[in-house]
Amino acid sequence: MLGQVARKDSRWIFFTMSAIENDRARSYLSRGALAPMQAFMHRYSTPCRMLLVIAAVALLAEGVSANPIDFVKDVRPIFEKHCYACHSASKQKSGFRLDVKSEAFKGGDAYAPSIIPGKAKESPLVHFIAGTESDLLMPPAGEKLTGEEIAIISRWIDEGASWPDGVDRISIKDRRDHWSFKPISKPIIPEVMQVEWPRHDLDRFILAKLEKEGLRPAPEAERATWFRRVSFDLTGLPPTPEQMREFLDDRRAEAYEVAVDRLLDSPHYGERWAQHWLDVVRYADTHGFEVNTERPNAWPYRDYVIDALNRDTPYDQFIREQIIGDSLKQDAATGFLVTASVLLPGQIGADEPSKRLARQDSLDEIVVNIGQSFLGLSIGCARCHDHKFDPITQRDYYSMQAFVAGVEYADRDVYSPEAEALRRQAELLKPRLAQIEQELALLEPKAKSGVERMPVNPRQNNDRIGPLKANKVRFTINATNNLEPCIDELEVFNSRGENVALVSNGTKVRSSGDTTVADRHELRFVNDGQYGNSRSWMSNEQGRGWIELEFPKEEEITRIVWGRDRLAEYSDRLAIDYLIELASNSSDWTAVADSSDRRKFDPNASASAEFSMAGLPPEEARLAMDLFAERKSIEEKVKKASAGQLAFAGKFRQPDVIRVLSRGDPEQPKDEVRPTTLTLFNPKELPSDVPELDRRRALAEWIVSEENPLTARVMANRIWQGHFGTGLVETANDFGNNGSAPTHPELLDWLANELVRGNWSLKAMHRTIVLSATYRQSTQIDREAFAKDSDDRLFWRYPLRRLDAEIIRDSMLMVAGELNPKMGGAGFDLFNQRGGLSGFSPIEVPEGEGRRRMIYAHKVRRERDAVFGAFDCPDGGQSAERRRESTTPIQALNLLNSRFTLAESAAFAARVKGEVGHLPDDQIRRCYEIALNRSPTAQELEESRPVIEKHGLESLCRVLFNSNEFLFWP
Amino acid sequence: MNARERSIAPVRSHLMDRRAFLGNMGTALSSIALADLLSNDRLLAASPAIDPARPFAARTPHFTPKAKNVLVIFCAGAVSQLETWDYKPELIKHDGMPLKGGPAVTFQGPAGELARPQYGFRPRGQTGKMVSDMIPHLAELTDDIAFVHSLTSKSNTHGPAENFLSTGFVLDGFPSLGSWLTYALGSECDDLPAYVAIPDPRGVPQAGSNNWGPGFLPAAFQGTPFSAKEPVRHLSAPGISAEADRAARELLARMNERHLAEHEGESRLAARIASYELAARMQLSVPEVSDLSSEPAHILKLYGADDASNSTKAAFARNCILARRLIEKGVRFVQLFNGAYASGGELNWDGHNKLKEQYDKHAAILDQPVAGLIIDLKQRGLLKDTLVVWCTEFGRMPMFQKGSKGRDHNPDGFTSWFTGAGIKPGVSHGITDELGQKAVQDVHPLYDFNATILHLLGLDHEQLTFEHNGIQRRLTNVEGKVIREVLA
Repeated sequence: MLGQVARKDSRWIFFTMSAIENDRARSYLSRGALAPMQAFMHRYSTPCRMLLVIAAVALLAEGVSANPIDFVKDVRPIFEKHCYACHSASKQKSGFRLDVKSEAFKGGDAYAPSIIPGKAKESPLVHFIAGTESDLLMPPAGEKLTGEEIAIISRWIDEGASWPDGVDRISIKDRRDHWSFKPISKPIIPEVMQVEWPRHDLDRFILAKLEKEGLRPAPEAERATWFRRVSFDLTGLPPTPEQMREFLDDRRAEAYEVAVDRLLDSPHYGERWAQHWLDVVRYADTHGFEVNTERPNAWPYRDYVIDALNRDTPYDQFIREQIIGDSLKQDAATGFLVTASVLLPGQIGADEPSKRLARQDSLDEIVVNIGQSFLGLSIGCARCHDHKFDPITQRDYYSMQAFVAGVEYADRDVYSPEAEALRRQAELLKPRLAQIEQELALLEPKAKSGVERMPVNPRQNNDRIGPLKANKVRFTINATNNLEPCIDELEVFNSRGENVALVSNGTKVRSSGDTTVADRHELRFVNDGQYGNSRSWMSNEQGRGWIELEFPKEEEITRIVWGRDRLAEYSDRLAIDYLIELASNSSDWTAVADSSDRRKFDPNASASAEFSMAGLPPEEARLAMDLFAERKSIEEKVKKASAGQLAFAGKFRQPDVIRVLSRGDPEQPKDEVRPTTLTLFNPKELPSDVPELDRRRALAEWIVSEENPLTARVMANRIWQGHFGTGLVETANDFGNNGSAPTHPELLDWLANELVRGNWSLKAMHRTIVLSATYRQSTQIDREAFAKDSDDRLFWRYPLRRLDAEIIRDSMLMVAGELNPKMGGAGFDLFNQRGGLSGFSPIEVPEGEGRRRMIYAHKVRRERDAVFGAFDCPDGGQSAERRRESTTPIQALNLLNSRFTLAESAAFAARVKGEVGHLPDDQIRRCYEIALNRSPTAQELEESRPVIEKHGLESLCRVLFNSNEFLFWP
Repeated sequence: MNARERSIAPVRSHLMDRRAFLGNMGTALSSIALADLLSNDRLLAASPAIDPARPFAARTPHFTPKAKNVLVIFCAGAVSQLETWDYKPELIKHDGMPLKGGPAVTFQGPAGELARPQYGFRPRGQTGKMVSDMIPHLAELTDDIAFVHSLTSKSNTHGPAENFLSTGFVLDGFPSLGSWLTYALGSECDDLPAYVAIPDPRGVPQAGSNNWGPGFLPAAFQGTPFSAKEPVRHLSAPGISAEADRAARELLARMNERHLAEHEGESRLAARIASYELAARMQLSVPEVSDLSSEPAHILKLYGADDASNSTKAAFARNCILARRLIEKGVRFVQLFNGAYASGGELNWDGHNKLKEQYDKHAAILDQPVAGLIIDLKQRGLLKDTLVVWCTEFGRMPMFQKGSKGRDHNPDGFTSWFTGAGIKPGVSHGITDELGQKAVQDVHPLYDFNATILHLLGLDHEQLTFEHNGIQRRLTNVEGKVIREVLA
């Protein structure tokens, strides 16, 4: 009878088939070991047992039936007891939850729906709880459901699974119904009572909220306090006493505006604000991971960011440049794509799964970076499963990967005006090189002249002839030193010194046969004007082969020049027995040169011995020497100029095919995906054959498009955070459901609109913010406000915070008069080595380059600076959306006792003595003015005097560097 | 199409095929009870509240702990389970034969033939546990140890695998186990760092400071590295007399007090003042705890710190004594490293080429000092409150590599162990296959290992969280099960 049921009800078969589709079983299906039907048969015995249980349950259920089952009274307590630990609000194992009606009826990831009203025995849920498949028995641990409980649920389903509306204890929210996914609103500027306070519309948003809470803004900070604050904020450095004096003396109405403009125009602005961005993109100068080796060409990206900010590159353009800078003459900008740690080829396991995993990890980092930096979305969370909180599917995640699937972590030649100028210069030198070659050639004996010539050499050989008229040249090889012959370039010069063999001259080429290796050995490379093994022709015969060139018109030929590898890397495959023949329309092939009058080839001779002065008269020998010297010097210049600058900015190639990976496992590939933007917003899908660059371009344009509500909001928030330490949204990298809600949503939208309206100018936004009344508040505590909002999320004062590590170090150097203002270029060393595993010893006392601003330090991933690293410097491992602030005794020890502090204290003291002489009070005053931008009080003078008299001025300098007043935002 | 329109659920077929299933999952259909989640979510509620003025104040765990502090002995380079704790008689029988169905290529390249354990094994103690002759001193302690033979790692590359062992993630930038514990529990000791990492005298391991880094936790919770050889940096100011130093500190204190008076109620300013006071105490207590001159001769002998014939062993033994002294003082988390970075197996346990020859050297450094340390902790009664963990990032293959006398990386089955507070002694849990290549019974990803350590300290690994980039991060990511079989 049971068998009959199985045969009768085809749905059973489908169900058992689907049961086979668990991971384990799926793997043997995918291996093709068994056809699906065989697989079914293989497991047939299990369903038989299953049916037995179901049937029994059904009978039992009928037996107890009297009143209909009530969901709230009878069913939910069972779910609660056995299921909610894994299938309710806190956890949704297998994507299934049983505490909310709509979700429960929807089903889980693999079995949906799980409850089929009226059909208990077809409902996967019943099969799980009844344990008809032992490996799918639910709950997997702990007490199982009793027969009676199973019967109740079965009957409830058979009776139609009535789940009244409104009984759920939880209401659920559409994950897309989230503030940051909605279009940016055009908020109305709020009305306020304290109308004299706002200086700007921005302030009205802040004040309206304070008034609503019954709070008052703090009094305005003193002029000096604001100026010191805004100097740290915009440049990362304190004002000099002279700058402070100038500002305080400027009583014009626009003094604040003038000061802000001057700070924004300073190149120090980019040096300060680039740090915020580099924190987010986890910039570092080493590769991290396994051996943390140096990434020597990372710094052009760091310089790009500084420069882009200083130029006030519109933010939308800043995004484009970081994604497709290779097409916008901003090559270094695409360093953004490859800022993450990566395993270098030698560090990845030799086995294929290791390689696939490493590639996936490196693509993942790009998606993560794009998601959190530009969009404030943790897209990376959907690598192994759908996002737990946001409407981002696993498929979305892999579709994003497809945009960047052609990016390789590697150095690339960068375009820069300097490099271009050098290259142009090199081009100008090349004609002279050609001329030298010709002059040298003229010093060589002609072929068949009766004079013994040089043996052939792998680099370059000249055969002077004629001049003879011909429109065809044939170069025939009869023997090589080994293997199939290879020629990197065959050149034929006419009496005007032009190489008429070049394909650009219209010359045609044919051969006896080729060994073709794409992009390395091809026939067309023999007359393409490029040298070296990787642009060469190779014959398909051992020791033999010929090349024939046909010019578009008859030429007067003086010289044939050929070589195996002009770049002098290879010396095999060299033609040692050859023949050169000419032909014209009017005459047949004539031999004009061969190897018979050359000295015998010596395999041990130096490959560079392409010219011998043996037998030359002294005058000609001297001339040849001079020509050689000149050639060498020009060649070096050309080489240097054409080498250019490399940047670790990624290489771009044919994109990998991207598939959804089950559980994120590269060994479990599923459907192929195309580059598609998030389905959350009106998704755009590209065809699978879109070229690499166009993929990235489409991605960039989607990110910056006006339809994308995240980009402007996320950046406006980052700017606000930069000025106040905390954003309006506290989770700057996460604007999703799990992130914090904005404290001032209207203000955030207003700022986002302003940003876009101001042509995405960051500097315009800075100006607005730092001139606002909100920003001008003092740090003074208001007890009432503090009691209500101790974290100052409503901005009832300017928040008190410790300065960042970089500001502390840079300011100490500046105060000591030792800051080296050099911008850009390779980073200076914080340690005795620039990468590697261990043994980093810090350079304790900075000198020269070491006194540059800390953003120019060669940043070794995870190796924090020995003194300032403890001040919450991010380590370049994961994105730092904002600086955490901690206080530790290690910070105190570092700042009190490090040689850095002692050296800068001594330098500061020496500077002050040099500036004001030997009187202690003058020295103390000057120290306070430089370090704290204020004069000491009488008491401070009193207390300092005995200390400097007994222990030297550097003692006071050391104290000032450690003082809370020096270390905190004013 | 706007968001609302797209939220309409499509008709679902009874049982979706996989393609449709992948296409539909998530997106508009799924939804969450966010508000409810946030209010009910114990993960958010259970994170410790940190007083910025006293970040190291002792904090209460989630439940009564079995252990108050932890000593982790971290053997870098991947110790072979087959030469130490995981006895495989079948491997002796199959010596020189190919591994049927085994991988042709492993991490470093082509695989060679199966190779017998390079040391003899014999039964030890009451349990009769078979342990190798490579580590005779440690072998004597097996009655007190709970072994887990069935661990697995997510990476077969040293750096990422060490990250995984120490932070629960293969990527760089996540907080280490010790940082999590310090964040959760603070310290019982107010004049020493809450968390000390003691690097091996030969150098630091592959993942370097990631092993004791705070990741995205506040820097206060990072491990402070120092050893018997290398003191804490910046403990004193070179060239500054004690008198000058005192004068400067007094001047600083007065300045800061006045500044605080102008900013009444600012806990951050108060915290910084307090940190200078703690720093002053550390200036005295750290040299004191690092000064081993008061250790009697019999103690030096117990650890092998008096071994004049092996200076690396003696130096490592001194680190072991330092570890005990720190535990004695109430330091919450001590991490003792044995072995440095990849070096062709010369400086750590990465025995690719000359395994036997190199392990002879490494074992001599590890064995007596660590055994001495455990004996000493026990005789002082410290094991009652201290959990001791011995671990390594992954194991090694049962085959030799082609053309070499060493074993390649193997993340699929390896051994680590526990002893001390809260541990059931004399247990061997989990089994690898008969040749020791893969864990086959009671398989435990390292998540479980870390979840167990947290559990013994009274912490639920699912509750101990920290919000970073919008994610409630955990040491165990979204995995982890406590290995109850090793608990007392």
